[in-house]
Amino acid sequence: MKTNLKQLATGLAGGLTLMLSSSLLLAAPPVSEIIEKANQASYYAGQDGRSEARMRIEDSRGRTQTRQFTVLRQNVEGSDRQNYLVVFSRPSEYRNTVFLVHKNPSADDDRWLYLPDMDLVRRIAPGDKRTSFVGAHIFYEDISGRNLNDDNHELLEETEDQYVLKSTPKDAGSVEFASFQTWIDKETFLPVRIEYTDSSGEVYRIMENANIEEVDGYPTPMMMRVQDLNSGGNTVVQFRGVSYDLGIPDSAFTERSLRNPPSEWLDRR
Amino acid sequence: MGKQLANWCMNHTRLVFTSVLVMVLALGMMIPKIIIDTDPENMLSAEQPDRVKHNEIRDRFGLHDMIVVGQVNTQHEHGVFNPESLAAHYELTRAIEGMEGVIARDLMSMAAVDNVEQAGVGTIAYDWLIPSPPQTQQEADRIRAAVERLPMYQGTLVSEDGQAASLFVPLESKDISYRISMEIQAVVDELGVADEFHITGQPVAQDTFGVEMFLQMAISAPLAGLVIFLSMLYFFRSLPLVVAPMLLAMATVISTMGLLIGMGYTVHIMSSMIPIFLMPIAVVASVHVLSNFADRYRPGDDPKEVMGDVMDKLFKPVLFTALTTAVGFLSLLTTPIPPVQVFGGFISFGVLIALILTLGFIPAYTVSLKRETLDKMAEKFRLKEEASQEANKNGSLLVKMGRFPTRKPGIVIGLVVAVLAVSVYGINQIQINDNPTLWFKEDHRIRVADKVLNERFAGTYEAYINLEQTGIDRQIDQLRRNIQLTLDEAEAEGLELRSTWASLWDESAGAASPGDRLETLAMLIDDHMFEAGFDEQDYWEEILDQVEAGRSATRAFQNPGHLAWMDELKEHLESTGVIGKANSLADLVKTINRELVSGEMEDYQLPERANGVAQTILSFQSSQRPDDLWNFVTRDFTQASIWLQLPSGDNQVMSQVVEEVDRFVASNPPPEGVELDWGGGTYINLVWQGEMVEGMLWALGSAFIVVLIMMVALFRSVLLGVLAMLPLTITIAAIYGVMGLVGKDYDMPVAVLSSLSLGLSVDFAIHFIQRLRMALEDVGGDWKAAIDQVFDEPARAISRNAVVIAIGFLPLLAAPLVPYITVGVFLASIMATSALVSLFALPAFIALAPRAVLGKAVKS
Repeated sequence: MKTNLKQLATGLAGGLTLMLSSSLLLAAPPVSEIIEKANQASYYAGQDGRSEARMRIEDSRGRTQTRQFTVLRQNVEGSDRQNYLVVFSRPSEYRNTVFLVHKNPSADDDRWLYLPDMDLVRRIAPGDKRTSFVGAHIFYEDISGRNLNDDNHELLEETEDQYVLKSTPKDAGSVEFASFQTWIDKETFLPVRIEYTDSSGEVYRIMENANIEEVDGYPTPMMMRVQDLNSGGNTVVQFRGVSYDLGIPDSAFTERSLRNPPSEWLDRR
Repeated sequence: MGKQLANWCMNHTRLVFTSVLVMVLALGMMIPKIIIDTDPENMLSAEQPDRVKHNEIRDRFGLHDMIVVGQVNTQHEHGVFNPESLAAHYELTRAIEGMEGVIARDLMSMAAVDNVEQAGVGTIAYDWLIPSPPQTQQEADRIRAAVERLPMYQGTLVSEDGQAASLFVPLESKDISYRISMEIQAVVDELGVADEFHITGQPVAQDTFGVEMFLQMAISAPLAGLVIFLSMLYFFRSLPLVVAPMLLAMATVISTMGLLIGMGYTVHIMSSMIPIFLMPIAVVASVHVLSNFADRYRPGDDPKEVMGDVMDKLFKPVLFTALTTAVGFLSLLTTPIPPVQVFGGFISFGVLIALILTLGFIPAYTVSLKRETLDKMAEKFRLKEEASQEANKNGSLLVKMGRFPTRKPGIVIGLVVAVLAVSVYGINQIQINDNPTLWFKEDHRIRVADKVLNERFAGTYEAYINLEQTGIDRQIDQLRRNIQLTLDEAEAEGLELRSTWASLWDESAGAASPGDRLETLAMLIDDHMFEAGFDEQDYWEEILDQVEAGRSATRAFQNPGHLAWMDELKEHLESTGVIGKANSLADLVKTINRELVSGEMEDYQLPERANGVAQTILSFQSSQRPDDLWNFVTRDFTQASIWLQLPSGDNQVMSQVVEEVDRFVASNPPPEGVELDWGGGTYINLVWQGEMVEGMLWALGSAFIVVLIMMVALFRSVLLGVLAMLPLTITIAAIYGVMGLVGKDYDMPVAVLSSLSLGLSVDFAIHFIQRLRMALEDVGGDWKAAIDQVFDEPARAISRNAVVIAIGFLPLLAAPLVPYITVGVFLASIMATSALVSLFALPAFIALAPRAVLGKAVKS
């Protein structure tokens, strides 16, 4: 019944239906609140956390590359800043390759890379965050989150269990998409599907979160998939060994950890 | 036989005309279904091993046909590195990316690729080389400085002198390249900068050729027909009579092309020339018939009677000239090149149609003309002949010329020997070479673009070397045997791991490559270790190590040794100058390594260990275009590709490159188990060229023998048979000799013409000898008198034919496509040479020993 009314509301433009639709919208929280909650649920769950990721990159012919790594994450108290440490374990040629990210939504992130074979620590220049993460169809930004203030958001639709948002970049030239649409689960506020649309109006990239489980009281997607419709490839990331609120110390997220990853936090307990 | 057939047709004219009309209409209706095919790749059959390999390589590395767009600025002191030119470059790149059918993510231009550089100490930056159109000269200078540090792009995307930039535009399919090139041209016209723009690349050349070929079919062939018509009108002075061969030629061409298209064959560059080849062949036979008829018919004669006599005399030569021509073209079926087979097969079909029409339609047509028309024609013709006889009191010029070889056979034969000697020398000078770009004339925009871009860049022609590590399966077998040893050890400790191992192994099946399978297997073992008992951990740990080591070992092209070998090969090829440039995974890894380590040239080298290579590549995979990697190596790192840029599409250049690679491999063998293959359009052209030359020689040889046997059978004399082969032998030798002397390359059109010359050159000899034997009977055995008689009407027919065809093909010389010009020149020379040789060399050789050659009919 609700959806019927909704359709009526969007389908007609009479004064009565306008009133009806605005009253319906009033029932939903404001857009800014939805995206804020979604952002919290996706990236800020708990004070800190760890998870093991296995990433399978597949091209249009089914040729695959696999990467396995452990992610440690920490929220910087009293701010929206976060620290990430990504340590590769498999395949063996990447073992102990490390990414360290100090995420700062209001400015540029600081990023470091450690290549163990050459014992080389390098800063990665702040640049485009919408570039591939180690060859996957996933972007850096998909892992650490996109700044909410970079886009204008509007609520397109509200269904029984989802909010559908449309986000349009404020600086159209800075990104490769024209807009994206997010389906947010009302209960967990986790985005379950994001579709990116190019300038010709075609959806060319789809990101999905699935297998949502509650871990330590936090709803957590145990699988994430990104499809690149242009190339026909996709990347699937499976998570396991997820835990939250471990009390990981700040020292685990310093440059020292690049050469000496904190195994006490990385190993599964 | 000929007389009976002709008589029957002359008595059933309506039926003859109706059936010709029905055939032409039925087959002609197919013509609108025409499909043009200009892809030289189709010169090889779809199953040809090199072509299959070529396509596998393209598929494996995601390589596409590319249009090359060049932007040149010679006016500005910084070349294209000024804000306006770079902004135009940026705008053009964005516009092309948006075109339907362009694979935007693989497009290469300075405005579409990454720059990797050190951004301050210890900081690596991957960013677009031209992130947005530069506003100031300073920004333009920065872009120039950046690109000059990127060896992969120097000479490829920008010329060394900075005056030119290029875009490599990959296409979803090459048959849209003409459309895309037109769209690019439209964008270029709107850019409003002073820079010159050029568009080339093999697919554009091919597609443009197709478009122009289509035009030529509509212009050249009809134009040739018109000129033939006019020259026949001059000789015969009778419009209705001359219309007959024209109708015959049209019916032949329309039926043949209709059948070809109707049977679903595409019209390739070869088959587009069928009308041009068929026109003279169709006309020639009927000209003999009409010429003879015109000579004999006098007002008041019964045309049926005269035509019956004509056909009685000419049946054999007409039949045999047609059959020999057909054999010449049928021999093309023995070549391994499908378009050439189609060409040969359908021309043979056309020749047979022309033969049937000459025997049936021409008599029927002639007798259906009004009596007055024929009388008028005969009168005009007679007057003209008398006038010319008046002009040459002692017999016609031809008759006079005809006496020369019989009187001085030594001089003529000496001349023939001299010509042959020079020809043999010339043939030895022939350069076998083809280059589809050279099918355009020098001033064609594609040739101009080709010249400009190949002067400034490393080359717009591509070839690929595919390297494959073999023996992976053996490695895996060895790994499994080693793991059995570990399992044995565990068993000795009382641990049964075998069944778990077997199930994990089975579970890992279905991966795209052995390396992928081991990768999956390692994951599965890792997962299993969470469940496995404490005692088992050490063994599983060891097995996991073994599997991981085994997997790493399959990744051959992560080895610095493999990359170094590719690099040496590249160095060698570049230093010998046979290629413009080569790009491989080694260049990419060296560049990334340099920027990771210090940014200084001293670090432009390969990491020491395979893991270093892997990690360098991992870093690159975070750039804007990580998938560029897969153009150089497969995802399992068992195969790699080296992209060679050649400044010329000449087959000779390509074969030099192949030789240089072979030479290098002989003295520097690749890492063990690495095998080398070739791909790329330029290489494919080389392959079919090779097959064609061999195929054509074989075809020519076999046709020669078949025709010789036919001649011996026709004249029932070995000596006459051999003699009949003489004109075509001399003609072919002389024409190819001249070709070698003037330096014209032996290319595809030239090769095919050899079969045409074989078919046409023998015709005159057949007519000459056959008529000579008839004349010998007429004059009662005096061979000199018989030759005089042959030099009357028959020689006129021969020379008329030669002149008509030679003139008829002059319009081809104005064609914008070189193969058409070649065909025009060749046809004219074949006709002229073989007519001359038939008329002069044959009598000279006969004069040497008339009795031996002509038999008992000769009375002393």
